[in-house]
Amino acid sequence: MSEQLDLLAKMGRDFAASRDIEVTMSLALARIADLVGAEGGALFLLDDEGRNLTCHASYGPVDIRGMFVGVDQGIVGRSVTNNVSEMVRDVSVDQNFQNTLDEQSGFTTRSVLCAPMAVRGAGDVTERIGAIELVNKTGGDGLFADADLKFLEALVASAGLAILNARMTGELAEKEVMRRELELAAEIQRGLLPPPSEGEFPVSGVNRPARVVSGDFFDHFILYDGRIAFTLADVSGKGMNAALLMAKSASLFRCLGKEDLRPGRLLQRINAEICETSLRGMFVTMVAGVYDPATGRVVLANAGHEPPLLHKADGTFKNLEASAPPVGIPIELSGGGPVPEEVLHLDGGALYIFTDGVTEGYVTDKEELGVDGLKAMIEEALREGLTPDQRLDRVAARLTTSGKPLRDDVTILVIDDAANAQARSQDATARADDTLASTAPIVGSLCRLSLPGRAQSLIMVRRAVEASATSCGFSKEQTQDIVLAVDEACQNVVRHAYAGALDGDMVVDIRRENGEFLVLIRDFAPAVDPATIKSRDLDDVRPGGLGVHFIREVMDTMDYLPPPDGQGNLLRLKKAIL
Amino acid sequence: MDINIAEHGGVKVVAVAGEVDLSTSPQVRDALLGCILGGTSVVVDLSLVAYIDSSGVASLVEAFQNAKTRGLGFALANVGETPLRVLKLARLDQVFVIHDAVDDAVGALG
Repeated sequence: MSEQLDLLAKMGRDFAASRDIEVTMSLALARIADLVGAEGGALFLLDDEGRNLTCHASYGPVDIRGMFVGVDQGIVGRSVTNNVSEMVRDVSVDQNFQNTLDEQSGFTTRSVLCAPMAVRGAGDVTERIGAIELVNKTGGDGLFADADLKFLEALVASAGLAILNARMTGELAEKEVMRRELELAAEIQRGLLPPPSEGEFPVSGVNRPARVVSGDFFDHFILYDGRIAFTLADVSGKGMNAALLMAKSASLFRCLGKEDLRPGRLLQRINAEICETSLRGMFVTMVAGVYDPATGRVVLANAGHEPPLLHKADGTFKNLEASAPPVGIPIELSGGGPVPEEVLHLDGGALYIFTDGVTEGYVTDKEELGVDGLKAMIEEALREGLTPDQRLDRVAARLTTSGKPLRDDVTILVIDDAANAQARSQDATARADDTLASTAPIVGSLCRLSLPGRAQSLIMVRRAVEASATSCGFSKEQTQDIVLAVDEACQNVVRHAYAGALDGDMVVDIRRENGEFLVLIRDFAPAVDPATIKSRDLDDVRPGGLGVHFIREVMDTMDYLPPPDGQGNLLRLKKAIL
Repeated sequence: MDINIAEHGGVKVVAVAGEVDLSTSPQVRDALLGCILGGTSVVVDLSLVAYIDSSGVASLVEAFQNAKTRGLGFALANVGETPLRVLKLARLDQVFVIHDAVDDAVGALG
């Protein structure tokens, strides 16, 4: 008995310490064979189908691992099938002995002990695991006795338990691996969201997944001219499938959003891309927009999403209903045109975009937050002077303190124009004090063109620059010079950046800011090295290379800015308005 | 942009009208080089040029250099305010032979 306990303890330790159950089984078999006193032994496990018994551990002069017998064959089969121990004391006098394994192994069997491994599982059902078979008693006449069988039975019961334990541990480990993979997926997903906004950035968002991964997302990034593109979306469903479609939608927004499309057209493009994938009836409700901090103007497109809330500076709320079906509805059904756009002037107010996980989230046992609840929370938070970030955190916190798990993913995005509106009004006051500018000059963007990057587009750029420069009070000669300089800068895009290929757009933004005439020229070509852009030596009379000289001669400054999204080139030309 | 080529006393007079920019300057270049490779001196009448950019200026420079290496004459005439400003920016007003009128230029070359 003490030997049995000792073995049980050893096997338990072995199985617990080992990652390789096969090695541990070999060790256990060797110990058992040693304790009982057998020349050879084999540990058989029943396969998942319950059809064959395969040798997983072997002890003795011949290694029979990998050999198998049918569950209806031989002594092992009979022992497992009937869940009873078998002893063939002397093989030579037993009619029933079939020499199946001897024929395969070349081993000569004289005496056999076989004990089944089984445990009593749930509902008193016996779970068969396999059997341990020992052959040829060491010493004496080489034949086993009844006492040997009893001893083996006791040891085998322990081995069975140890193997079952190890298997369950393996399943737990597998579950653990899956849990970790899900968490890694969630981490990648969090990486798809923008980093927390810093300082007084007007756009911020929160996302709290109901499960590990989320079907919601939001994003925002600064466009080359300072406007901010934003989106918030809710993928139908909550599991891994929703998370994957979320990843695709978020990537499409990031990628296509940088091509400077209008929000309605952007959603149209995303819809076309998503419709190309088989969705199994899944869809995405999505809001996309562009906010201009210089004017407070928002262009918004809503594809089937919960109506965003406009909270005006006077304290009133306005619901902005969706005007198009969700993204992912086949184009034949949705028509496939651009999503209609709405133009809003925030005028110091704020725009809240959220998923139904917010309004349908529980604030008590039974009560949902609702749109009215959300409005009340916004008003209260504003009274307390909370920043946009803090306001969103408070709403998210309210939904997670009801004591119930989140019903759905909670995602909110806010575009708060208060700080920018204040800055704009200060600017306007400063301008009104400026007697030179008292004729109410246009400030901000004067003209913005998005054109194919080719020579035929240049005439339009020249007309736009001429009209803009004239409106800023430049003389005819100065205007001609500026037209030449901008034309030359655009030529560089056409000739060098796109190198004659018609595959890229060129965006020319003409602005008036802080007493300066400003031209921003954006392309989407590989980045140029500003160090290679240089004026030529004018004493060297030869064709070409004059453009940069013209620009430097005419404009006050010319510099390359890092494009906000790291793509393409952004050239800035400046000339003071005197 | 329009180009009109006429001949006066053995000299080709190339009259350019309109806006010479990246999309139209190759035509100016072809017309000027065509005359020079044909072996005649050239006067470029710029009176109707409303705009000229660096690529247009480059066409003039290239033609001028080709004429020089072939021992042919090359002059500009009737340079309006706008093109003259660009030539000045490029410091090329010192390099080109510039006449007030086409006849003067033809007379000088012929």
